[in-house]
Amino acid sequence: MTPFLKLWSRYVRLTARWPSIASFVPFIPVIALWWLVTALEVFPRAFLPGPAEVWSAFKSLTYKGVLPDYLQDSMVRLAVGALWGIALGIPLGLLIGMSKRAHTALWPVLLFFQAIGDIAWLPILVIWFGYGLVTMTVVIVYTVIFPVVLNTVLGVRSIHVNMHRAALSLGASRLRVLWEVVLPGALPNIVTGLRNGLGYGWRALIAAEIIVGTSGIGFMMFDARRAGSVVEILLGMIILGILWYIVDSWILAPIERATGQRWGLVSR
Amino acid sequence: MKSLTIRNLSKTYFDLYAATHVTAVHDVSLDVREGEFVSIVGPSGCGKSTILNMIAGFIPITGGEILVGGKPVRGPGPDRGVVFQSFALFPWRTVLENVAFGPKMRGIGKIERDKIAHEYLALAKLTEAAERYPNELSGGMQQRVGVMRALANEPDVLLMDEPFASVDAQTRMTLQEELTRIWQEKRPTVIFITHDVAEAVFLADRVVALSKGRVLADIGVDLPRPRSWDALHEDERFKAFTARVLQLVRTA
Repeated sequence: MTPFLKLWSRYVRLTARWPSIASFVPFIPVIALWWLVTALEVFPRAFLPGPAEVWSAFKSLTYKGVLPDYLQDSMVRLAVGALWGIALGIPLGLLIGMSKRAHTALWPVLLFFQAIGDIAWLPILVIWFGYGLVTMTVVIVYTVIFPVVLNTVLGVRSIHVNMHRAALSLGASRLRVLWEVVLPGALPNIVTGLRNGLGYGWRALIAAEIIVGTSGIGFMMFDARRAGSVVEILLGMIILGILWYIVDSWILAPIERATGQRWGLVSR
Repeated sequence: MKSLTIRNLSKTYFDLYAATHVTAVHDVSLDVREGEFVSIVGPSGCGKSTILNMIAGFIPITGGEILVGGKPVRGPGPDRGVVFQSFALFPWRTVLENVAFGPKMRGIGKIERDKIAHEYLALAKLTEAAERYPNELSGGMQQRVGVMRALANEPDVLLMDEPFASVDAQTRMTLQEELTRIWQEKRPTVIFITHDVAEAVFLADRVVALSKGRVLADIGVDLPRPRSWDALHEDERFKAFTARVLQLVRTA
């Protein structure tokens, strides 16, 4: 038991120094299992290639410049869609959260359109906008906007009435209350909404690329299916996971740490 | 600092579930002089917080009028600072920024308002905590910040709604002594709402006893200042005041 504890304590100290190790190590058993299954040839090699083949596909596609181009296309699409989703979703959420009238008028409509899934829009969007960036942007905006709006409304409504009262009795105008109280008070929920929204948007993007795309990671995977290249499909899937991990842990988690957690509104 | 006049103030609610009118405050009149400290004491549901919320402009009045420095109250405003039972500090602002909030809303520049805030923080011995966030402080310290945030905006009237009800008994006594000290230094006009009779007597120049929305008695407390619990704890006159108010509130 003791040697194991010693090893564990060494690991804990190591990850305290380099936190990124902690996010990498859990994948070692996953990769090992994958390698073992392919090495034992449980499935035919053509159906399930091993880590080494996927790695060499990664190297050659990167070398040819295909992968960086596709990656860039996908990221730009997600960024454009997400920015529009945020720019429209947060103000809409603030409006519905603060105004009873807006809530009465818009809430049922919102729920109706939320029910029509993003992919369900693709047929008509293709007819309207063709196979291009507009169609994909609309789909991503559509997926990002609902979690952002719904969580923003929740955030606005969870602010205690005394916060408003305190600001008003310290001389804040209604507009200042919006900026000084409503926005920061709703921020932890807004970040949660972004997290969900981007997660859904990322999936919607891949689906859209598979159906309407001419480039991007989703297109690469679907194109590989046509060529019967399981290696590239697996590579695409792994890249999706890694990219999302990077977006979540390098962008969204730090925002959360710097705001809600710091203020004691969200537990660590 | 300005005077506060309340004339024939009343508040009735329509209770939707019971489908009847409920009278929370009934024909209350009160004159508070400039720089006077008045406690309003009574049991839960006697209407004391409703009165404070109407003075603050948080809820509309049903009848009568409220004048601050001769002008009728219309909605919340910086002329009436409020200290809340639940502190209501802005969690996303540091202690310094919380205290500087009022001056910021008045359009005072960063350097000047930070100077004002530091001055008030020093008054409550909070200088060390200036850069911390409210959730990192104890309840007692949070409420010190709450009081200083209201005072730093130099309101005409300071409204305190059971401000020390959610801190522990020892801290409460310290805060009460600090409040009397700071009040003597700044001499704001204060309305202090509490259900604690001893607290009401300890702090105030006058104690207004309230029950079922009506004023029972208005009692002047001419105990010498500065006041401390060590001196007043066994003081016969303090005990007499407390006993008198307690009897009024309990027998009503």
